[in-house]
Amino acid sequence: MKEKKNQSSASPATGTNRALGARIYRYKGFYVMFLPVFVFAVIFNYLPMLGIRYAFTNYNGIKKPSIVWFDNFNKMFSMPGFWTAFGNTLVISIVKLLLTTFFAVVVSLFLNEIMNIHFKKVVQTIIYLPHFLSWVVTASLFSLILAPTGQGLVNSFLVSIGVVDSGNMIYFLGSTKWWRFTYYLINVWKETGWQTVIFMATLAGMNTELYEAASIDGAGRWGKMRYITFPSLANTILTVLILNLAKVMNLFESAFVLQNDAVLDVSNVLETYIYYQSFNSGSIPNYGYTTAVGLFKSIVGCLLVLICNKWSKKVREGRGIV
Amino acid sequence: MGKSGKKISVFSIVNGLIFIILCLIIIIPLWKILVDSFDLKTAYGMKLWPETFGLDGYKLVFSNPTLYRPLLISVITTVCGTIIALMLSTFGAYVLIQWDMPGRNLFANMLLFTMIFNGGMIPTYLVLRSLHLTDTLLVVILFPALNVYNLVLMRNFFEGIPASLFESATLDGCSPMQTFIRIVLPMSKAALASIGLMFAVTYWNDYTHYKLYIMNSDLYNFQMKLRGMIMGSDLPTASGNATENTIKNAAIIVVIIPFMILYPMLQKYFVKGVNIGAVKE
Amino acid sequence: MKKKALSLLLASAMVVSLAACGGSSDDKNATGTTGGTSTETSTNTSSSSGSETPGSETSGGSEDTSDIEKPAEITILVDGTVFTQENARDQFMAKLEELIGIKINVIQPDHDAYYDNVGQIIAGGDWPDVMILSSTYYSAYAAEGVLWDMTEAWDNSELKKRQEAYNGAGVVAGMEIDGRLYGMPSARGNGCVTYVKKKWLDNCGIANAPTNYDEYLAMLEAFTTGDPDGDGTDGNTFGVTAAGFVGTEAPYVNYLPEFYQDAHPSFYQKEDGTWADGFTEDSMKAALGRLADAYKKGVIDPTTLTNGTADCRNKFYSDDFGVFTYWAGTWATNLKTNLENNGLDGELIALPPIKEVGSYLDRIPPVWCISSTCENPEGVFKYFIEPMQDGGEVQFLWTYGVEDVHWSTKAETLYEGEEKEKVYEEGQFHGCDNLENPGTQYTKAHIDPALALVELKDDPRNESAAEENKASAELFAQNCVTADLVPSTDQMTEYNGDLTTLKNELIAKVAMGEMTIDEAYAKYESDHGAEWSQIIVDSLNQ
Repeated sequence: MKEKKNQSSASPATGTNRALGARIYRYKGFYVMFLPVFVFAVIFNYLPMLGIRYAFTNYNGIKKPSIVWFDNFNKMFSMPGFWTAFGNTLVISIVKLLLTTFFAVVVSLFLNEIMNIHFKKVVQTIIYLPHFLSWVVTASLFSLILAPTGQGLVNSFLVSIGVVDSGNMIYFLGSTKWWRFTYYLINVWKETGWQTVIFMATLAGMNTELYEAASIDGAGRWGKMRYITFPSLANTILTVLILNLAKVMNLFESAFVLQNDAVLDVSNVLETYIYYQSFNSGSIPNYGYTTAVGLFKSIVGCLLVLICNKWSKKVREGRGIV
Repeated sequence: MGKSGKKISVFSIVNGLIFIILCLIIIIPLWKILVDSFDLKTAYGMKLWPETFGLDGYKLVFSNPTLYRPLLISVITTVCGTIIALMLSTFGAYVLIQWDMPGRNLFANMLLFTMIFNGGMIPTYLVLRSLHLTDTLLVVILFPALNVYNLVLMRNFFEGIPASLFESATLDGCSPMQTFIRIVLPMSKAALASIGLMFAVTYWNDYTHYKLYIMNSDLYNFQMKLRGMIMGSDLPTASGNATENTIKNAAIIVVIIPFMILYPMLQKYFVKGVNIGAVKE
Repeated sequence: MKKKALSLLLASAMVVSLAACGGSSDDKNATGTTGGTSTETSTNTSSSSGSETPGSETSGGSEDTSDIEKPAEITILVDGTVFTQENARDQFMAKLEELIGIKINVIQPDHDAYYDNVGQIIAGGDWPDVMILSSTYYSAYAAEGVLWDMTEAWDNSELKKRQEAYNGAGVVAGMEIDGRLYGMPSARGNGCVTYVKKKWLDNCGIANAPTNYDEYLAMLEAFTTGDPDGDGTDGNTFGVTAAGFVGTEAPYVNYLPEFYQDAHPSFYQKEDGTWADGFTEDSMKAALGRLADAYKKGVIDPTTLTNGTADCRNKFYSDDFGVFTYWAGTWATNLKTNLENNGLDGELIALPPIKEVGSYLDRIPPVWCISSTCENPEGVFKYFIEPMQDGGEVQFLWTYGVEDVHWSTKAETLYEGEEKEKVYEEGQFHGCDNLENPGTQYTKAHIDPALALVELKDDPRNESAAEENKASAELFAQNCVTADLVPSTDQMTEYNGDLTTLKNELIAKVAMGEMTIDEAYAKYESDHGAEWSQIIVDSLNQ
């Protein structure tokens, strides 16, 4: 049954009129290769996904879940904090994604121009190290460096060059004006280097003949970067961006460890909002409610991916991102 | 945009300088951890050098008799997990570049779907428990092995392999598996190295799967133990000995070291033009 | 696009069809798994697993205490406060089994993830006989019927008499929910006392430690503007810090008690037994005023908002501030040794609560609970829970651990040749070197001897514990009241999370001078705070 539907979806695109059976036969080896992937997906993803039905129940993990249909969603949407958190999530998450990707691409392009192989290795290794720090450690490091006291490196520097006055230091992590900017900066510091790994690998597979041809055509360094190196990264950039969109709503740990009571207006994202809602309530979590929130996040992620995938097909000659 | 030798070297120098500054910005915060890991005194602020230099932090991390087994477990799960995960990603990615294969889009969407939707903590635990996977190392090896994100990145790399190579392999009578082994894998060293690295890091740093699905501390990995060291001192009855802060920072450094060594080693696969020779017909 | 939509549809259809058959297969899982884990925990006497629907009042009475059968084997779920495997849990349990004659199966998840794991295990339906629970889980699980009502068993027990004889019964009474008891604390919860650096007082010429708020504030100002650390620079120090202006857990005010004084940011029980929300009361407004003033004067660390607890400790050790409210008992020694290790004067004065504070707050202790599916709860209570506080051999084991593993009286020299070298004579009680963290000594097992509810016969604590440890613990014990156990209601679950988040935000903003007190309370009204608070208070008073 599945295959029949499939035929109708697949064959117009391929334009072949070969019998479906024959085509399946031709690809038989591939089906066998896909089998382990399929099994893993079923066991570790699809079976647990049955739990999504709890979104429509009240379930505290003790009594049998009682069906409440859309009550959990009503509760979620009716809390005033929810929409603020939802908006914050979209803005913070997407800006963060764009910024880290942008910096990773730029850094990769320039790393690619370094000719000294040892220097390149050292640089690559150093810039990817922050990825290995846990967020908890990162947060405590930066709350020291950005402290509005003499111990804060950044404020001391700003005072010494006369940008701020010593009685009026900037509380980067404690002021609603500065928090997001600081948050993006810390993320760029921590994750740019790690993201370059994938871009550097992509550049490694690039066709050097194109470079030679371009040199003959008289293209300069900038020309080559712009017309050869960057386009060969485009596919990977697009994939990374769209795949990450699926996870945009999952933002939690980095925001959680860097936020504090005074900046919740601008920093409370959906996951942290739900965390506080449950942790501060002084009672055990209602898994029905958390599942409902999870389902909502998934649907938003799904929409974002579908929209961007449609747009990306233009770039990728009709092929989707997956 | 000149091309004279002089201008290029100016670019190189500026470029190099920018990267040196960049590295400094990255290193300054890390320096604090490094200094503290060698400093026997506990300080809050930043210091250029340790006030009282000593290796006690590292000694205590390595002399801790309860750390060897977790270290071994970390190595085993990282190696096994990375191999299995690479296998799944390459198989899946190879299937996904068969654009004409019936069911290809269904498979693709099925995978994408798993990336977006999930069933939550309790249902996942119950499924794993009913399969007798909880409290075994299998769960921490197998659970993270299917990663659609990495699988799609892998497929991106495979797409770069010229179609002509596949055609000639098929003409030579290669089966899909033979083509995979003879052409796809050798052509994808950079992909295997980078995505393998990403998996290795995931496995090495993993603690969520351990804490949720393993309740037998004999099966904890290195990261779990170090996390205990880093977080444990907030308890009202903790025994905060005088080198607590030093050990903590030493532990943070120790976790990073394997990847400071591994990445430069892998970079030889990142050399330009691996597939050039093959493309020439 | 159509093609894509269709195949997505297919994929989701697959999930739905899986879900459809999942209805039955899932139930199978539930029964199948109970069989599964009972093999792991071998044949445990409890939970032959009709546990999906616990009868909340399964077995209430235990009138006849004489013919209570001793269970042969029980399963217990414990957190990291019981010796972990690395710390010779097996030897500890072997000794316990020998003493009480019950085979014990232990499930001990990671300490950080304990309550995630508790939730999973309870949802899995295969409940352990005994589990340690925090106050939140205790009250919620009691309300849901997960826990066995041990009121009668306790009332008729020798344990109650022993506790009363040692003035410990008040703690247990505080754990009652509507007059019923579902869990037994093994010790008091402990809390924080205010430590002041003696050297700093001397350097600032303050002869007497403060006894009221004005003196306290004057001390903080002297610490902030003067040169208490003696480095020759005025004003590079400050008075006090904390990790945030308000705590994340009940009793929220324990890190800055001198500023909060009699204020309650959350729900509390008034003397007439009714519940109220202290946030809108004048005492809270006054507290906010004190916080804001002190912050403006600079005597509170300007980075209080973003500090973590470890940051506070490190600042204390590097002489950045002088007054620190932190755990009584063991931590008094920890703070002292760390200061001395940094070459500073380690002498700390544990401050008796200043006049306005009156008393420090004792945290609600975690409790040992028996699950309602336990087959022989009376037996478990009598032969497992009670002996834990028998004042004798079993309590000694729970307090100090196993001889020659966790403690010893043999003559020996620890850390030979090191700075911290310690020589013990034959017969001198001392903790052994920690198996997991060599270089530190064991000071206790599960029960902190300073917090015990029943007097331990021949307690070696008087000789073995450090002076400052004993002094601070004693000071705390004499000056503490137990925090209220707030019961869990549906309205609480629904609104208290958002309410607390709102309160915390307002407290931080007022303290930092970003908002006046009036503005804060106006926002409290307009953001539904007052409304939610009233709903919860009503539900508590029902």
